[in-house]
Amino acid sequence: MNERAWAAAWPTEGDARVPYWVYTDEAVYRRELERIFEGPTWSYLALDCELPKPGDWKRSWIGEKSVLVVRGEDGVVRGFLNRCAHRGVQLCQEASGHARQFRCPYHQWTYDLDGRLMGMPFRNGVKGVGGMPAEFDFSQHGLTPIRIAARRGAVFGSLDAGTPSLEDYLGEKMLAFYDRVFDGRELRLLGYSRQRLRANWKLILENIKDTCHASLLHVFFVTFGLFRVDNPSKVRMDETGLHTALISERGKQELNEGTRQMHSFKQQLALQDPRLLDTVREFPGDATVIMHTFWPNLILQQQSNTLATRQIVPRGPHEFDLHWTFFGYATDDEEMTRRRLRQANLMGPGGLVSMDDGEIIERAQHGFAAAADAAGINEMGGRDYADCDHMVTDVALRAFYRGYRNVMDL
Amino acid sequence: MSLREELEEFYAEYSEVIDGGALERWPELFVEPCLYRVVSKENHDMGLPLSLMLCESVGMLKDRAHASKELNVYAPRAWRHSITQIRGREEGEGISARANFVVFETLLDQHTRILCAGRYLDRLVRTEAGLRLREKICVYDTALIPGSIVMPL
Repeated sequence: MNERAWAAAWPTEGDARVPYWVYTDEAVYRRELERIFEGPTWSYLALDCELPKPGDWKRSWIGEKSVLVVRGEDGVVRGFLNRCAHRGVQLCQEASGHARQFRCPYHQWTYDLDGRLMGMPFRNGVKGVGGMPAEFDFSQHGLTPIRIAARRGAVFGSLDAGTPSLEDYLGEKMLAFYDRVFDGRELRLLGYSRQRLRANWKLILENIKDTCHASLLHVFFVTFGLFRVDNPSKVRMDETGLHTALISERGKQELNEGTRQMHSFKQQLALQDPRLLDTVREFPGDATVIMHTFWPNLILQQQSNTLATRQIVPRGPHEFDLHWTFFGYATDDEEMTRRRLRQANLMGPGGLVSMDDGEIIERAQHGFAAAADAAGINEMGGRDYADCDHMVTDVALRAFYRGYRNVMDL
Repeated sequence: MSLREELEEFYAEYSEVIDGGALERWPELFVEPCLYRVVSKENHDMGLPLSLMLCESVGMLKDRAHASKELNVYAPRAWRHSITQIRGREEGEGISARANFVVFETLLDQHTRILCAGRYLDRLVRTEAGLRLREKICVYDTALIPGSIVMPL
């Protein structure tokens, strides 16, 4: 793209400003698909526990592309574009399933679990006429493979041959956070929630990197101290600024210098049934919540005892889908599973906390309409990009947009 | 009143309470011990235990109703339940009932949309105040929720 197709240059203030055209412009969005989702990145695709047996498969996404994640007869997880090599028909329509082979219903081209084309009807003709030419090379017409990286509990895919290993891609610092949740224990799938939000996909990543809002927007976080700027907190980022971990500890329902400034703090609010917030410490260290954003499509949530991946599927500049997969560990006892399921009330499309997020980013998208000449401000905590040991800062947003501009050449 | 009429009366009241904005009355339509779940058809069919909403007591219903009415932040909207194909049968001490539901959602500046469709799998008991819910499982078909579900279904 030689000419700038979008409305205006980046504001002169740099990464402390985000022009609203990054959320609305079609040309920017097309470049995002090319450079980010189809570029040298690892997109989260599945949890390993969703595909326990050979032949188990799941439909997933890299950017807008539908992909299949399949466990082969040899136990290895592979990925393919979800598209018949013959005429492009989407091969699998269910969300998941179990198969010995994949057969497109249109002309019954059939593939094995490794994606190899095994055959099709009329290959040798019927009654001596027709059929495929003798030189048709089956080995050249299998399903289109994608690269797969599996580490402990989760499976990632990439469309770019040049993407470094998942470990190098995340880097040592972020890998330590990843390994804290995916610590090698077998996972237990608890269920899915799926929603389509009418907002730009970057807004949900920003939402999780935006430390201040959690202390202001969400009455449940603020009042019960689940995630609040006056609690001991840290922001940790990788060198690109694109992967982030926000780390915090649960605080008290008390009036202090921080909560006094939060209009959403309710000192008198008490739960009628406190089991909702009957949290227990289950990870080493003091952190009770770590919210991870792994570029480009994964939010990994450990809020008290709720564990979930949130997978982002972009659907144009103005919409994206958010697929929530809640999980626990195979070693959880009955009580821990009940606790996770109860605390899941905070999260998801009807979450006592998360519904605020879904609503507020849609509201932001409304605000961007016909406002391509305006820009958002990310100056809390200054203008720097360094890790810090508090959350009264927009530093993760500045670092994110610095990384984003590098990738996008904006 | 026939059982069918009793049930129709109850579901009319149920939708009126939610759609009419009297969410604080919603927990009164249940009796302790109670269970309320909103669960996707996907999780339900796969036997996965996750709910979109889960209340295991009248207290939790009250917490949800209060949050929805007073604490959560969402765009102003109108909700309209349509509850149809109601069928029930006497079962032990109570009544087991099934119904279809559709919730129409209207936001400002937008067309009215279908928020979700599904079925109720309910157990009710007779009280002096009329039928009340012992258990309500809302199984929604909608594979992708448009936006958020900001009130109980």
